[in-house]
Amino acid sequence: MSLTVTALVALLLWGTLVGLDLVSVAQTMISRPLVAGGVAGLLLGDVAAGLRVGALIELFALDVLPVGAARYPDYGPPTVGATALAAGGPWELTLGLAGTVALVGAVLGGSSLQLVRRSNATAIQEATAALAAGESRAIRRLQYGGIARDAMRSALLTAVVIAGATGAALAPIDRATAAALTVVVVGIGLAAALGGAVRSAGRGQRRTWLFGGLAAGALTAMVVWR
Amino acid sequence: MRGRLRALLRLFAVQGTWNYERMLGVGMGYAAEPLLDDLKRADPQRHTDAVVRSAEFFNCNPNLAGLALGAEVRAEYDGAPSAQIARLRTALCSPLGALGDQLFWAGLVPALVGLALAAVAIGARLWAVLGFLVAYNAVRLYTAHWSLRTGLSAGMEVGAAISRSWVPKAAAGIGPAAGFGVGFSVPLVAVWFLRPFPATAALGALGLTALGLGAAYVGGARYGALRYALAAVLVTLLVRMVLR
Repeated sequence: MSLTVTALVALLLWGTLVGLDLVSVAQTMISRPLVAGGVAGLLLGDVAAGLRVGALIELFALDVLPVGAARYPDYGPPTVGATALAAGGPWELTLGLAGTVALVGAVLGGSSLQLVRRSNATAIQEATAALAAGESRAIRRLQYGGIARDAMRSALLTAVVIAGATGAALAPIDRATAAALTVVVVGIGLAAALGGAVRSAGRGQRRTWLFGGLAAGALTAMVVWR
Repeated sequence: MRGRLRALLRLFAVQGTWNYERMLGVGMGYAAEPLLDDLKRADPQRHTDAVVRSAEFFNCNPNLAGLALGAEVRAEYDGAPSAQIARLRTALCSPLGALGDQLFWAGLVPALVGLALAAVAIGARLWAVLGFLVAYNAVRLYTAHWSLRTGLSAGMEVGAAISRSWVPKAAAGIGPAAGFGVGFSVPLVAVWFLRPFPATAALGALGLTALGLGAAYVGGARYGALRYALAAVLVTLLVRMVLR
């Protein structure tokens, strides 16, 4: 795995935007792993690898419902960083390791979100008097400060995952182990997506449609890859 | 009332200062600022009070925050009593949270992501990603615009305006599409990923899928796919080390 300075900067910028999109700004869904990975692949000149990593991590993200004050992993920037590991190599051997790096990064990302939320609360406590006096400037300052903290978090998370990916690329893992990792992470990713879908479906009409979708997907797979 | 476009744009950053104390509160205050500008000239004291209220605790789904923002600002201009505005704000948290979460996070997003995953698996590459982004953001932009406009025209009557609107029906109707979208994608993604591997490896992966589903069923909220995956990776590495 080798990255040019341009590619590294591009990944860091993209990872920052992706991290901001999760909560703070826009929520245009560029933070979905499928999007984050696909574009990271494009930046690295290997769209297919980015889409593979993105699709794999998306299976895990489908298990998450980011509602209310729930705590959840941040899959976006880690997907961007992990794509660097998968790009340019045979995906059967790189996907499992890249997926593992992304999943570890997602755990770190979830913790980093909590840190940002706590520091936002601290900043608000410090501005209590200004807020009570109705100072619009204080609201703007808090808002820009919160977004800046999240941007720093996202950039740092992307950088840490890229560093982790660089380290993982140097690990002495033979071909059979690398392939086994891919199979393991894919298998559990499928469980995550299905588990999330079953949980959301409950016992009503949605469950019927879920099983209908599974049947339609299986039939389509038979037609496409017969 | 001026500042609608700026308020709409600011609503896209309504979670910029998300925290466990005021949640969206400060973001709501930030989005309200352009809308309250005219009040500053008409009634400076009311404006100051309105700014204070606008940044207090608030939480809902960000995509429907415009309804609460518009209703609150309209109530400020209409001179509604402050206690009534505070009650309106509190009363809107739960319904806007539940409706928005059902419509977007548990409905539209999984439905579109499922279809995009399926399209990527059968070879649509980045076109699938682009289609997903366009479709989602078309709905999101329309909803944001509609929410602010409806809130501003309904004011204190926003609850009735919401229940008469398309939102409750859409929130109830999108669930089956989400179930179908995710269900449709899983077999396609499974074959896309596992086809190059020997049958034994593919069966092993599906065994892990079944084990994960069983663990989710038995473990309930205690089960986490992420933890299961990391533990399985660790076991795989250890087993491979021993076998080498």
